[in-house]
Amino acid sequence: MGRAGEEMMRPPQPNAVDLAVDWCRANSLWPFFFGLSCCFVEEATAFTSRYDIARFGSEVFRGSPRQSDVLIVSGTIFKKVAPAVLRLYEQMAGPKWVISMGSCSNTGGMYDVYSVVQGVDQILPVDIYVPGCPPRPEALLHGLMALQERVKRERPLRPLLGLPGGVQGGRTEHLVDGVSKSMDTRGPGFAGSLARGTAAAPPHFEGNRSRLMWTPPAARIEVTQRDRTLAETLAERFGPGIEQQEPVSDMLTLSVPREKAHDVLAFLKTRPRSPYRRLEDVTAVDESARQSREGRPDFHLVYTLLNFREAARLRLKVPLAKDGPAPDSVTDLWESADWYEREVHDMFGVGFAGHKRLRPLIAPPNWPGHPLLKGHPRRATLMKPFTREDLPALEPVDALELLGRPLDDEEMLLNFGPHHYGTHGVMRYVLALHGETINAMDIEIGYHHRGVEKIAEHQHWHQFIPYTDRVDYLSGVANNLSYVMAVEQLAGIRVTDRAWAIRVMLCEFFRLSNHLLFYGTLVQDLGQMSAIFYSFREREMVLDIIETITGGRLHPSWLRLGGVAQDLPAGWKDMVDRFIKVFPARIKTYEALFKDNPIFEARTKGVTAVTREQAMDWGISGPNLRACGVDWDLRKKMPYGPYPSLNFDVPTGTTGDCHDRYLVRMEEMRQSLRIIEQIAADMPPGPVASPDSRYCLPDKARSLKDIESVIHHFVNVSRGPTMPRGECYHATEAPRGEQGYYVVSDGLTTPYRLHIRSPGYANVQAARFFTPGHTIPDLVATLASLDYILPDIDR
Amino acid sequence: MTPIDAASGAATTTAMSPWEPGGMALTVFALLVGAVVVVLLLLTRYVNPARTSPEKDRPYECGVIPTAGHGFRYPAPFALVAMAFLVFDVETAFLYAWAVSFEKLTPASFAGICVFIGVLLGSLWYLWQKGGLQWGAPVKR
Repeated sequence: MGRAGEEMMRPPQPNAVDLAVDWCRANSLWPFFFGLSCCFVEEATAFTSRYDIARFGSEVFRGSPRQSDVLIVSGTIFKKVAPAVLRLYEQMAGPKWVISMGSCSNTGGMYDVYSVVQGVDQILPVDIYVPGCPPRPEALLHGLMALQERVKRERPLRPLLGLPGGVQGGRTEHLVDGVSKSMDTRGPGFAGSLARGTAAAPPHFEGNRSRLMWTPPAARIEVTQRDRTLAETLAERFGPGIEQQEPVSDMLTLSVPREKAHDVLAFLKTRPRSPYRRLEDVTAVDESARQSREGRPDFHLVYTLLNFREAARLRLKVPLAKDGPAPDSVTDLWESADWYEREVHDMFGVGFAGHKRLRPLIAPPNWPGHPLLKGHPRRATLMKPFTREDLPALEPVDALELLGRPLDDEEMLLNFGPHHYGTHGVMRYVLALHGETINAMDIEIGYHHRGVEKIAEHQHWHQFIPYTDRVDYLSGVANNLSYVMAVEQLAGIRVTDRAWAIRVMLCEFFRLSNHLLFYGTLVQDLGQMSAIFYSFREREMVLDIIETITGGRLHPSWLRLGGVAQDLPAGWKDMVDRFIKVFPARIKTYEALFKDNPIFEARTKGVTAVTREQAMDWGISGPNLRACGVDWDLRKKMPYGPYPSLNFDVPTGTTGDCHDRYLVRMEEMRQSLRIIEQIAADMPPGPVASPDSRYCLPDKARSLKDIESVIHHFVNVSRGPTMPRGECYHATEAPRGEQGYYVVSDGLTTPYRLHIRSPGYANVQAARFFTPGHTIPDLVATLASLDYILPDIDR
Repeated sequence: MTPIDAASGAATTTAMSPWEPGGMALTVFALLVGAVVVVLLLLTRYVNPARTSPEKDRPYECGVIPTAGHGFRYPAPFALVAMAFLVFDVETAFLYAWAVSFEKLTPASFAGICVFIGVLLGSLWYLWQKGGLQWGAPVKR
């Protein structure tokens, strides 16, 4: 607490004018948000009718720093976006105050990673901290009330009249690490001990005890006859060097030499019968920190392909040498390979021959090194403290450089984002405009890069579950599902029927919650205000059910390897039944609001239509793919859990325009409700966790009674289970599309490498291809209808 | 509102004296208004002194530094629509004046306004034919 803070504690004698000014200021707070992540959703919720932030003197979010006097920084502050945060603060009119909302903004929270600032107070002064991850909307309201109390004691006239005490507006100093705050995770007096997570730090893995634990080999699948034939065909056609890897846990895996990779991929993509149409993912694994380097290259480049017709996937692994020749770019086969290859280049330093613009994509500008290399620093708290002096170097890249071509004299360059309502997160669209028409566009991402794949490498297999919730912060446990299924498939963990039913029910509730938010934000972006207030009403109902079952609203982290955390509480069924009763009528109302609404239709019909072929090629997935008329839903095509036994339909559109994307999601809500209804009516009895104590957590109550359970519980909670060596990719149909987790285990208690194939990445990249030629209002409608989310794009 | 006598329809006089426009009262009122405005402006300036900085004076563009100039040329549609709007806006101004005094006007004036509207309709048709109502220019890749 500075001098000003102490003065605040003993408010000097007020005079009438001071009282009047303070009262006016405290009761007309005009919040302006810098919303980055999950916290912002809760902040937005605070503006809806259930919480009604209007009582504090603001009915709407302020659109720009000029109109506001309270900056609410909510969510994770990234080094890449930090210059923008400070700029917004400096562009605000005085007097001004800052509320920091959520543990990420307060301290970096659980994101102790190279790309995150460990507290926004290191770059701008903060008046009020709202704790929580994420704080509930009530917590934000409480923060605002605390701010009001503070403002009421400021006595701004005193310094003007030369009297002691009193301050003019909020704090003015930011904090400095080592002087006014400390980032040391070890706490005072422990400077001699090892930093946290050393056991997971390559190359020595000091103190890691995985080697003392025996595990059976990874679960394996039998490769189908069709896949075998394909492998033989490729080996014949492309000569030696193409080897089928055995055993595998998930799909046909082929090792392909670098010089043949492009041709093999081209062949697979253009096979006349059952082609591998979609480039599901391209990523890499840095093999340099393996327990045994024997027979391993420096890197593996990993391509994952999807065959729509056979509902089959295929993995190609291309060994690469560190300073060896670069592999050929596949951007000529798939336009969408552009971002994937740029990401690999950014994160691993692997080049691609023939890639047209191999410029950084995700890492901050001028970033030293490649973050996902094993030698790159992991924790922000072990790096030099981030200060204001670091900001100029991280200033966002000039828009012209992103556009990659000069403007002609009738064009205007517009930055749409990173901080803008219409971008649904911190994301930057650089537009070359001719009038209102977008002639050219580039997207800059990475402003929300939480380094989650790096974090995974030093969190053990259970510890990582809370991080998955936050990858797509509106889909909660649906994220958990993709991750735990990948690990379960790798280790061969069986999940009980009841656990499956609970999982699916919660996932469908999150789908509802997500689509309700989608509906509200889409129509709000089209300038129609009411719907979001209605849809948040039902969303709160859904979240109340989720909260009753799990205790959390956005991030329950409710799934565990082999099951769920706890059984359903008493009374869950009544809540669910009540919801099932009211929801169909409500959804009818929502559709009626916009059915045949001329404005809504003019803004969405025929806007950015995408054909079936384009959608498959670009890797678009989820409702956006189905809107194009492709009948592809993983719950039906590659079913998992109890989905095969459930009755539900997969809605598809016809034209793939904004309107269809909206209709598909509205129908999906009905189908989700059907699924929930069936599951709730027929909840199987039995345990909710797998008895497999090698990998899973034994029941806590039992671990207080018998020694076996204590031992397994202790080991699996503290240092984590040791997973068998192997790799596994598993994707689920998350609310926004197909979300897949690729986990690589090296027999350690932590993932050796984890990669997330997120739906938004492909969906948004495609917007670069189909938006030029449309207008700015069309872009806004398109972005809202794509329903993407930033942390899942930037990861 | 002056009360109306229901029987005669004439305005009834009230206890208050009727207001007569006078220079003195108006001047005093204007001075008072001016003084209040000046006092308020001075007070806000004094109670909350302005603090400028280069960053604060910069235009706000989504948190990044705006580049590539702002002196771009407006594409034709904007200018065309603005012109067309002006023309038809003037038309409505005439129409209002004509409509409110319609009862007092002669058939000749009705014919006149018809010619006026006709000319403008013709010009609207011409504008339409020439593509002046098409929004947006063809996209150059």
